[in-house]
Amino acid sequence: MSETATRAPEKSGGIRELRKLFAGGGRQYGILGALVFIIVFFQIFTDGKTLDPINLINLINGNAYVLVLAIGMVMVIVAGHIDLSVGSVAAFVGIVVAQVMKGLSFPGLPEGMSSFLTVFIGIIVGLIIGALVGAWQGWWVAYVGVPAFIVTLAGMLLFRGANQFVGNSTSIPVPQEFKFIGGGFLNDFGPDFGFSNPTLILGALVVVAVIWQERRSRVAQRKMGADIAPLWVSIVRLVVVLAVVVGATLLFATGRVGTSFPIAGIILGVLVLGYSFLTNNTTIGRHIFAVGGNWRAAELSGVNIRKVNFFVMANMSVIAALAGMIWIARSAASGPGDGVGWELDAISAVFIGGAAVSGGIGTVAGSIIGGLVIAVLNNGLQLLSVGADRVQMIKGLVLLIAVGVDVYSKRQGRPSIIGLLTRKRGGELDVSPGAKPAGTQTPTPSAGGAEETVRPPDQQPRG
Amino acid sequence: MELEGNSEPTILEMRSITKEFPGVKALDEVSLTVKVGEIHAICGENGAGKSTLMKVLSGVYPFGTYAGDIVYQGKTVKFRDIKQSEADGIVIIHQELALIPLLSITENLFLGNEPTKRGVIDWVSAQKMARDLLARVGLSDDPDTLIKDIGVGKQQLVEIAKALHKSVKLLILDEPTAALNESDSQHLLDLLRGLKGRGITSIIISHKLNEIEAIADEITIIRDGKAIETLNVRDDGVDEDRIIRGMVGRTLENRFPPRIGDVGEVLFEVKNWNVRHPLVADRMVVKNSSFTVRRGEVVGFAGLMGAGRTELAMSIFGRSYGVFQSGALFKDGKEIKVTNVQDAIDNGIAYVSEDRKALGLNLLDDIKRSVVSAKLSKISKGSVVDKVEEYQASERYRKSLRIKTPTVYEGVNKLSGGNQQKVVLAKWMFTDPDILILDEPTRGIDVGAKTEIYGIIRDLAAQGKGVIMISSELPELLGVSDRIYTIFEGAITNEMSADEADPETLMKSMTSTEKRAPKL
Amino acid sequence: MKKIVIATTAFAAIAALTLAGCASRAPESGTDSTAGASGFAADATIGVALPDKTSENWVLAGQLFTDGLTEAGFKPDVQYAPATGTVPEQQNQINSMVTNGAKVIIIGAKDGSQLSTQVEAANAAGATVIAYDRLILNTDAVDYYLAFDNFKVGELQGQALLDGLKAKFADKAAYNIELFSGSPDDNNAGVFFAGAMSVLQPKIDDGTLVVVSGQTAVAQTATQGWLAQNAQSRMDTLLAANYQGVELDGVLSPNDTLARAIIESVKSAGKPLPVVTGQDSEVESVKSIMAGEQYMTIYKDTRALVAQAIVMVQDLQKGNAPETNDTESYDNGVKVVPSYLLAPLVVTKDTAAEVYAGNTSLEPLTK
Repeated sequence: MSETATRAPEKSGGIRELRKLFAGGGRQYGILGALVFIIVFFQIFTDGKTLDPINLINLINGNAYVLVLAIGMVMVIVAGHIDLSVGSVAAFVGIVVAQVMKGLSFPGLPEGMSSFLTVFIGIIVGLIIGALVGAWQGWWVAYVGVPAFIVTLAGMLLFRGANQFVGNSTSIPVPQEFKFIGGGFLNDFGPDFGFSNPTLILGALVVVAVIWQERRSRVAQRKMGADIAPLWVSIVRLVVVLAVVVGATLLFATGRVGTSFPIAGIILGVLVLGYSFLTNNTTIGRHIFAVGGNWRAAELSGVNIRKVNFFVMANMSVIAALAGMIWIARSAASGPGDGVGWELDAISAVFIGGAAVSGGIGTVAGSIIGGLVIAVLNNGLQLLSVGADRVQMIKGLVLLIAVGVDVYSKRQGRPSIIGLLTRKRGGELDVSPGAKPAGTQTPTPSAGGAEETVRPPDQQPRG
Repeated sequence: MELEGNSEPTILEMRSITKEFPGVKALDEVSLTVKVGEIHAICGENGAGKSTLMKVLSGVYPFGTYAGDIVYQGKTVKFRDIKQSEADGIVIIHQELALIPLLSITENLFLGNEPTKRGVIDWVSAQKMARDLLARVGLSDDPDTLIKDIGVGKQQLVEIAKALHKSVKLLILDEPTAALNESDSQHLLDLLRGLKGRGITSIIISHKLNEIEAIADEITIIRDGKAIETLNVRDDGVDEDRIIRGMVGRTLENRFPPRIGDVGEVLFEVKNWNVRHPLVADRMVVKNSSFTVRRGEVVGFAGLMGAGRTELAMSIFGRSYGVFQSGALFKDGKEIKVTNVQDAIDNGIAYVSEDRKALGLNLLDDIKRSVVSAKLSKISKGSVVDKVEEYQASERYRKSLRIKTPTVYEGVNKLSGGNQQKVVLAKWMFTDPDILILDEPTRGIDVGAKTEIYGIIRDLAAQGKGVIMISSELPELLGVSDRIYTIFEGAITNEMSADEADPETLMKSMTSTEKRAPKL
Repeated sequence: MKKIVIATTAFAAIAALTLAGCASRAPESGTDSTAGASGFAADATIGVALPDKTSENWVLAGQLFTDGLTEAGFKPDVQYAPATGTVPEQQNQINSMVTNGAKVIIIGAKDGSQLSTQVEAANAAGATVIAYDRLILNTDAVDYYLAFDNFKVGELQGQALLDGLKAKFADKAAYNIELFSGSPDDNNAGVFFAGAMSVLQPKIDDGTLVVVSGQTAVAQTATQGWLAQNAQSRMDTLLAANYQGVELDGVLSPNDTLARAIIESVKSAGKPLPVVTGQDSEVESVKSIMAGEQYMTIYKDTRALVAQAIVMVQDLQKGNAPETNDTESYDNGVKVVPSYLLAPLVVTKDTAAEVYAGNTSLEPLTK
């Protein structure tokens, strides 16, 4: 480390340190910047209504199902597939769950117990159906070898029809108790300080987790003999993150009485954490990226391609089932038009979040941020009473520009804005004899000096 | 430079070209003088800056992004893009051919430059012009043939024909013979001589030093972004060793490391191996092949491309090629069942593919993830990857294999060919194999890295592992192997110890089914 | 009772202000209170959430609301749902109106069964919810319902179909007909159909009317999304399957868009035109009626409906309860919603000039 510090050009020192603020991140920071910008923009132009507690709750409840879908979709897209059926699968599962819960009754049991059982059975049935649908689609993709585009295009029709078949093309209401997963809140308890107590506790838990995570990553960095960011970088990053967490906690805790951080948001948060861990830290996660990056190389490395493809497709349908249930809980009914166009919303979120169309690249966090960009934009424009026609036009352009900017900066061989902000920090530096000048060590993605290794993205071989 | 006093007219002078990428000086005051009508070779290790220099010349890196002057045909030129340089008669042919496989030769020749009559493509005159152009490069194929149906050698010629159509004055060829076999290479070199006779100047970048020696008039050697020297082949009495000395800055005393360690008992045995073509039912790609590998031994496999070497190797490695028909594998005398890649890895077999970009690496990954990718279980608890162990393991290989990279966080696509190959080797060494199958382990990498790879191979053998090395380069096989099998049309035709083998004997067995050809 | 409600609401409002003052949270005003009964500012924001622009009437209603509310001194916030993602976007729009502080939210629901969470939030925030044209189901948070009498519409359509058949085919004793209903996600579709069947079913039973395809259930006759393409393709199929050599005399169509699609289908099959009903008085259909193709339509004067809605808003602003004329028919599953129903009118070629008199866009077509 000392070697780089002395040999790196003086002027870049500050920027390099700044970059460490985002150490360990993915490509999503550019789009995170865009999200912050959009929030600030609308906060100003809607006279502060954007960050109003109630509006934030609406924002989360109104988009939880799309964000949940984006989690599954990013894994499908990373593996090099696409799933067009998610909306129909969600609608199908939704109508079955509504139908099942409508038919259930436990006359012998007390009221509370009975409704708990109804909801519980409904959710279990929904997840099982999602898994069955997923196994069906996964089997066609992984074991028969039909492209996912075709399998899920078929699924889109199949499960849309199944929804209307089961529901007789009508809407079926869900029990009041079921609504908590899509539009519910944590029950308040304890003394009234003018805040939602469960939200405060939730916020405190997140604060502890963030601090613990930062500490753990420093310990890991030390163990890896890696280039440890200076303490002040850690502290600044912690302060920024904690400020956001505390701010959000206070906002959500001061909504209308009876509200708290929404349940749907908690479900989403748990899924984001779980699937981020799955994709980053587990062997199956690695295998998904390996298959998407170069399936032939993955196959020759002992990866069971079929298993991976089956898993991502099946998992997507389970997630779609969950999204479907969150939706019917929010809407209080399952209808024949549910889920129309959701696949496109989820796919847009994933691509705005920095995933590659050809597979192999993408993150869960990025996709969520991508989804939030669209959600905040949509919400802000609606608060400004911009018509739905124009809102759609703007959303289309944002998708195009977000992906276009990234592609363009990469093609120019320039560090993309996103890349510039997000380069991972490396470990110990090696200056072997005859290595290139010291500057090589600057961790900037660029058309580096090494010939034969740099070609425009369109010439990159793809498996 | 030293040639400035020369009276022969120059077509190109690049003066003190400096090109920096963020943090890297790829070219440092490089000067290059090319005379009219000569063949000028540029040599250097991978990463030395050869391709960057050519990209500066052809306008891929536009004027303003580099420092220094380019004087072409007596005028200072400032190319903003490749179109401008082409308009002045500078055509660059890249290693990856820019031809479209599903279009015909004619369509490719005139792509973007179609002869038209009133806005409609005039196919009649296009055909006629195509025939003329093909004749000039010595091709007699029907211009309606699809590109995918002609070999790589002919494709290379089509590229040159395309350049001729653009009235080329200065032709730049980047590794033109890398993918070609002996006779195609020869044909291409002859063609370059012919073009030279017609006054076309060529700049050729190549790793094949024997070819350079045979064809070039002058050689400029680039090392670490600096022009080291320009040699005149005839006057300076240049030979391969002289070029290598210039490229690596030292003499490679012995390109092949000594064989140390003893060859032990039989470790791995393949018996009566038969494999069918995956698509053609009655075509056998491996016929009744049997061979053995001992502990501490490097076994070479010599054969021409298409002889069935790769097919044999991949079918052993978890039946990843073709349709298995019959045969058995033995390790330490016991039969092992290997029906998929995972079985192969579990049984200590590793296969380093000949095509590292398509089959060996995920180019989107970084080094550390690539190194551990074939045996994640080794660094995982349950199915959770321990990132600290991952870092430590990859760091170990970075040091021991001397992979040139600042950190193991670097993407493998940023590495040179030789270093990518080291990553692939590391990936397979990480699986703790007993038997390593190396398929063309030194293809497309430079001399220095080759020597390092040979060292790694011998080290592995010295550790008691069995190594199978497939190669098209006979000197390499003879220099590194202990024992060599020859293979022809899917069958093993001969076996000899490296000491008693020589290129002629090998070549004979590689080109005929005659068993046990008499040794010369 | 009313006083208690007013007092409660006022108390809640004061409490809300006090609590908001100390940077704390606003309490939930009870969902059962008739919010807005205490009146509100004369220039308040009024939200109007309309479904996607699938028919001319919705487009017209939007304009009328914007103009009418502006004229009455309010700040209109009129939003249409987009054609894709219609339900979720309509939910979001309603949420935005609440955030924007709308005092009354008039909702033309895309799917009346999927808005309960949003209208409850609106109600909790103190906004009065008026269901416009389509009832919002399964919630007690919808305060008023304003519509044309849809059952009546169905009855009129059924009766007109019978009259038309008698007039056109005076010599026949039995008539072959087919039935179409609207989108299954629209509560009104079922009501129209039920109204029509209340007239037609007895005639089907006594053999005067024959549904050749046998498709008489709502699910069989439904037209998903009220889309013309769906009606047209269903008609194509019916003709091909059941009317080779059999004459089709009449078709019950729930609205004009579908009626024209049905006529189009019959024309392209080369069959003589049957008696086709309609609804909404769309310009194209009025032309069609005058040309003798479509038999009838229903005139539900959007102007009158919007005008009535604005009257209700004005009543609410002053703190008065708006007038209702039906407090028992419209049960949304949780409560009976107080309703104001306007009467629809039947229009045939003969009566058009009379009915449309004064309507600037339709009157000229009748001449």
